Amino acid sequence: MSPVDRVAHLNRWRHRSLGEKATLALGMLLLAIILPPYPAAGVVAAVMTVAALAGARVPARVWLACAAGPTGFLLVGAVSLMVRVDAGGLGLAPGGVAAAAGLAARSMAGVTCLLFLALTTPATDLIAGLRRLGVPAEITEVALLMYRFLFLLGDTAMAMDAAQAARLGHVGPRRRLRSLGGLIANLLPRALDRARRLEVGLAARGWDGEMRVLSNPARLSAPGLAVVLLLEVGTAVLGVTLS
Amino acid sequence: MTLLEARGLTYAYPGGVAALSGLDLRVERGRRLAILGPNGAGKTTVLLHLNGTLRPLSGQVRLDGAATGYSRADLSAWRRRVGLVLQDADDQLFAATVAEDVSFGPLNLGLDDAAARQRVEEALAALRIEDLAQRPTHMLSFGQKKRVAIAGAVAMRPEVLLLDEPTAGLDHHGSVHLLAVLEQLEAMGTTLVFTTHDVDLAYGFAHEVALFEGGKVLAQGAAVAILADADLMARAHLQAPFLLELGLKARRLGLLAEDDMLPRDRFEALRLLERAAAGLLPVTPPPSPKCSRR
Repeated sequence: MSPVDRVAHLNRWRHRSLGEKATLALGMLLLAIILPPYPAAGVVAAVMTVAALAGARVPARVWLACAAGPTGFLLVGAVSLMVRVDAGGLGLAPGGVAAAAGLAARSMAGVTCLLFLALTTPATDLIAGLRRLGVPAEITEVALLMYRFLFLLGDTAMAMDAAQAARLGHVGPRRRLRSLGGLIANLLPRALDRARRLEVGLAARGWDGEMRVLSNPARLSAPGLAVVLLLEVGTAVLGVTLS
Repeated sequence: MTLLEARGLTYAYPGGVAALSGLDLRVERGRRLAILGPNGAGKTTVLLHLNGTLRPLSGQVRLDGAATGYSRADLSAWRRRVGLVLQDADDQLFAATVAEDVSFGPLNLGLDDAAARQRVEEALAALRIEDLAQRPTHMLSFGQKKRVAIAGAVAMRPEVLLLDEPTAGLDHHGSVHLLAVLEQLEAMGTTLVFTTHDVDLAYGFAHEVALFEGGKVLAQGAAVAILADADLMARAHLQAPFLLELGLKARRLGLLAEDDMLPRDRFEALRLLERAAAGLLPVTPPPSPKCSRR
């Protein structure tokens, strides 16, 4: 299983209510988008990082590793804002540096918000939350099954990959490509086969087309929600007065 | 009393491979039945017929003496009474946590939340996995998944529980634990039917054996009678269980009286050896080896 999933299941805020966590993450995301980037973006990123590391006890290593990917992507995008290409060739765009810095800061703040949600809340909780918000069962059930199958197929793919490597299937780029093609072609019938067997298993337990299970979502705590809202108001005030 | 019965089932998978050819099978209430046969004999296929997943091309399945129907309502009433646990637990677990997954069956029975919760607790306790309740299903070991899958069926309180290769892939400790749990379920009134190719398991655990080969039941009867029949076993490409062979040999050598119990597990076999060594045994050899158990 992926480190993200593991942390999402084992962090200290795993059993805090989805309402509090989502209000914090999405509220802060909204602030990062609508407020001027300086200093709001920095405040948002700082609050979310502290909440994740100190509050939910997400390991710093995982936090940084997860942030690294989007950061690289953002920097490349920001650099392209700084330059312009015209008749005179390549040059700095007027106001480009400020625009690029603002965009990068704002995006990084957004990344921390979503990372916070992803690392403190298992995907299945998010799906269950969407269901409670009124997203049709057809969509949430497919999402749930896809999530479940991801791990099963991932394990299968890894096993097949190891088996190919053991028979020297990865020697040289040509053979590696061939092996990869074989692996992908093999995964599809397996996935279909598994889906069919899952259907048998579900039918044996009286499945009638709807997947009802008992879940007991954590109760929304009023103090928790109050803290979240205070943080957001504080960030908004800071962001407006200092800009 | 015959609870579930298959009469003259024939079935072929799409593509024309004959899987069952005129199969008869009886499941008696409270008699642990092993469906024993080599790989590819049709063991899993027959389980899928016994809960209505597959529909025979000819022949019928009878529940309490009446032929079963295949309408939605009939199937749902049928599966309420006959539970199925697949060999690969990953084919069965779909929900986020163990407790949620086990609650699926009870809710499909139309129970309200409180009653379903009660069933979940009961099933987890029966399988002795209460501590796993809030665990995500993809964070379980192989043996744990197996028990969760069984709990999912048990929570529906079926009269008959069909298990496909229940101990396959489990280590010794895991199988012993699982069999103990199954015995407990049986004591609470569930009739157990399981498939296996393991003759030792069939000998040690089943009351009755249905010997499978080539989509047919070669013979069904008391476990010892079937397993000791060398001709039958050879036709199914199987060997007699070692402990049974040992016990029968001991009888022939006069080390075990005709009406003494044949050793069923290693402890009984070791005790037999000790008694033989101590010379506390009848000296006159019995006339012919015959199975007297049961």
